[in-house]
Amino acid sequence: MAVTRPVLCPICGERVLKTGYCSGCGMHIDVARKAHNTSNYHYNIGYDKAVARDLSGAIESLKLSLRYNKKNVMTRNLLGLIYYEMGEVVEAISHFVMSINYEDSNNIASKYLKELKKDPSRLAFVDQMTKKYNIALGYAESGDYDLAIIQLKNVLGENPHFVKGYLLLALIYIHSENYEKAGTTLRRVLKIDKANPQAIRYLHEMGHTDENIMLMSKESIEDDGLLDDVYMEELAITSGGGLQSESENDKSNIFKEFKKTKLDSTVKLGEYGEVSLARYSGAYVLLGLVIGILLLFFVIVPAQKKKIRSDNEELLKSYSEELATKNTTITELNEQIAALNIKVEELENKATMEDNSVPDYSNVKTGMSEDDIRAMIENE
Amino acid sequence: MINFEEELKRFKPIPEVNQAEEAIYSNDLKDISDIVMQMTSDLREAEMSNINRIQSRVRR
Repeated sequence: MAVTRPVLCPICGERVLKTGYCSGCGMHIDVARKAHNTSNYHYNIGYDKAVARDLSGAIESLKLSLRYNKKNVMTRNLLGLIYYEMGEVVEAISHFVMSINYEDSNNIASKYLKELKKDPSRLAFVDQMTKKYNIALGYAESGDYDLAIIQLKNVLGENPHFVKGYLLLALIYIHSENYEKAGTTLRRVLKIDKANPQAIRYLHEMGHTDENIMLMSKESIEDDGLLDDVYMEELAITSGGGLQSESENDKSNIFKEFKKTKLDSTVKLGEYGEVSLARYSGAYVLLGLVIGILLLFFVIVPAQKKKIRSDNEELLKSYSEELATKNTTITELNEQIAALNIKVEELENKATMEDNSVPDYSNVKTGMSEDDIRAMIENE
Repeated sequence: MINFEEELKRFKPIPEVNQAEEAIYSNDLKDISDIVMQMTSDLREAEMSNINRIQSRVRR
């Protein structure tokens, strides 16, 4: 005799009565089955869209699937994965947690969460990125578009799949009438999410046709240089949008001219993409000059001044010593002169006195006559 | 033409990691079975209140 197994309610898991109503939740089994089937149907559509990289479409379908059955674990997991792919990690985590809450065993979401928990630095990084995006949004709302662009480029450099970041960046570029950059940004969105409705709407507004958009999504984004030229571009970015004051306009004109001369030069740096740093060579030269001048004024010039001052002091000291020595010599010589003068006077006095005391021998005649003396000289 | 201000309003701050709990609660939506059960319980309550009202009238 065959044993008939009791029919269980797909919603609460309680036994279904013969009347077709669940003994637990009171829902009719047909309604519950219909809801589950519809949920699975929308999950399948969402899955197909996700495979075809229509992530926005997939999210819509999966959300609809959850409206019919919020406990559909497969839907939750796929939705979490899609959010993760689009760079919205917190949203992804929330769906994984919900999924595990509904089905703990044999759930791939627990593996995903384990992977995330294993690397706390990754979570910290995600948190930083989220904060930066929110700051950029704040900048955009307060009209600081260049700061918003720099911040967004920073975020997108760290997380190149962050669709919301690209969309905000594209919107700012459109507002600044920099349609080329906006197009490049939106092309990156279409690479991640082929049929992103917001990106397509922006492209339509910019005058692109559907065919154009199809072609754009197929183009390579490897060397579009969107995130490369960070500084100079941002200063010149708001040139056409009429968003700046006159001084800012002047500044952007200078940079436009600089950029033009850079492009017109015979040696186009970075043309072959081997050295991307060459794009900033002008900025580096300016920076080097500024640092050099500052170094000159704050380090080299004071050191030179100090050296000259100490040399002068040394010279002054040596001159003073020489002067003192010479003064001493002069004083000694003066004293010697005075002493000698005294001596001369004494000797003169003495000579005078001796002249007076010598007897007069003028009358004394010598024994030899003049003829005798001459004869004697001749003999000799 | 794109209205920048209006478009910008569509961009909302994304939840940070310390706000994940709030995100989880906000994702706990009502599905069709919740709505049907809510409707059923509302109908039952309405039915019970009707029955009580009729019974009280009968007693009078």
